Amino acid sequence: MSFLFHVLTACSLHLFGILGLNLIFGKGKLLHFGLGATSIGVAYPLWVLHTQYNFPFVVSSLITLASVVLMTTLFTWLSIRLHADAFGVMTIALHLMFLAIVLNWQTVTRGALGIPQIPRGILPSDPQGFALVVMGVAALWVLFIVLVDRSRIGRALTALAEHPWHGESLGIRRWLVYFVAFFIAIFGVYIGDTFFPPFLHLLSPTDFNFPLTILFVMIIVAGKPGSVWGCVVATFLLTFLKEGLRFISLPADLLGPVRLIMFGLILFAAVWWRRDVLFPQQRSV
Amino acid sequence: MQLLANALIAGSLAALIAGGLSLVYGTLGVFNLALGQMVLIGGYVTWWLHQSLGLPLVLSIVGGLAAGATISWLTFEIFVEPFWRRHRFLPLVTTIALSMILDGLILLVFEERPRAILPGLKDTFEVFGARVSIEQIILIVLTLLILTGFAYVLHSTPLGRRVRAIVQHPHAAMSMGVPAPQLNRIIFILSGVLAACGGIYQGIDQNLSPTLAFPITIKAYAAIIAGGKGHFWGAIICAYAIALLEQLVVGVPWFGGEYIAAGYQQTVALAVIILFLLWKPSGIFGFRSRAA
Repeated sequence: MSFLFHVLTACSLHLFGILGLNLIFGKGKLLHFGLGATSIGVAYPLWVLHTQYNFPFVVSSLITLASVVLMTTLFTWLSIRLHADAFGVMTIALHLMFLAIVLNWQTVTRGALGIPQIPRGILPSDPQGFALVVMGVAALWVLFIVLVDRSRIGRALTALAEHPWHGESLGIRRWLVYFVAFFIAIFGVYIGDTFFPPFLHLLSPTDFNFPLTILFVMIIVAGKPGSVWGCVVATFLLTFLKEGLRFISLPADLLGPVRLIMFGLILFAAVWWRRDVLFPQQRSV
Repeated sequence: MQLLANALIAGSLAALIAGGLSLVYGTLGVFNLALGQMVLIGGYVTWWLHQSLGLPLVLSIVGGLAAGATISWLTFEIFVEPFWRRHRFLPLVTTIALSMILDGLILLVFEERPRAILPGLKDTFEVFGARVSIEQIILIVLTLLILTGFAYVLHSTPLGRRVRAIVQHPHAAMSMGVPAPQLNRIIFILSGVLAACGGIYQGIDQNLSPTLAFPITIKAYAAIIAGGKGHFWGAIICAYAIALLEQLVVGVPWFGGEYIAAGYQQTVALAVIILFLLWKPSGIFGFRSRAA
């Protein structure tokens, strides 16, 4: 039973990042692979200030919100200035940069050791209670994303993904739409990172590695890019699969590589399956 | 002087990889994000042949290059060719999948610990005030020879003219009888051989470790983007420039005599590239294109 609550919590925590990424990558077709960078950029200010420097949680949250705005600006600027594929590569570069800073700034972040004893504060300490709270917040987030998806911003993102020039000529302001989309995506990561380290009682750099971004990309591709409900279903299925692998009796040094190979194959199969809808095709009469 | 020598050594590795990739980008317009893993496979296979099977180094290097060619051919046939005509961004995602598969295989077969093709301390000597080993001199000279050979083929042979024709306008080139699909395949395999070369270089000069794959990929592509995508010489110049920048970051005292920790080496270099691209998105030698 505790495993079920653990996986439900993990699924709900994933939804915050996945649905935001789906807005950018799935709907907007922007090759944003810098999810790990944004996650580091919000989790570390929030929890380092709160636990290492004893800032009140509200104050560290407000400072982290400023970090959300700064990162939104940076990612929007890059997405406007760079070609789509160059943007994809540079977002991975940003992830590597942020990870290197966290790993090397040991006086503040404790490097690879991470920061232990992250408090749960007002959140329930029992797994069931924690899972219910996170699932409740995740449900609200799903509803919010559905509303965004059907809003003017959602339609503008679709138009820009299909043809940016035509979109701009119809009066869609690209920088504004991208700014809002990135803000929503990074704010989702911020909500997720408010819950995730307290869930584990640990803020560890290993939780921000590139395979997590790939897992999210894979979930979006499998769930149908741009589809909110498809991504929700794929999140639950693939997270259960990922967590269920723990029960296969493999040595720890084999489990990691086997998981990498398996998820690589699933991502490839998902792209093969979605190869006609993953990126927009030019319409023809 | 030592910093310049170090930059030349590190830059040679990056230039080898970036040169081949810029051709691939120029002809196909695709990014191969499993490149770092191909680099490592070239190095690891050489290590395995030389250290585990005890084959002579030259034979092991040939084996490593053959492994690089085979992996890149399979990558082209399975992960690139079926996708890139539908949308040129699809291979970017499929090669991420490949990178995960190869990462897993490298960890299973070669394990996580560092491997050196030529373990032990190397004899160094002084050249213009910088200490270098004979292996490093050979690697620098070989890189220059390979790049010069590339330049000759590209600019002075019928094959090079065909490749440049595909880079400029693939459809026009095909209508003139240039076999673009075959040349695309050959160029992709060649880029894999150069990547394997880089891995062998890395394994001889330092160590091979699975964690190197992504930084190698990203730095090579940073050089290609900053040099002007598809511009062969731009990529090579930027590869050397990034290596020099990395050396300057840790080798020169900054901020009142303080040295920057080695861990930040690539962070600073990538940050400079990103700032540069925000200023000039088309790169040093790229042409400004119309944007919405």
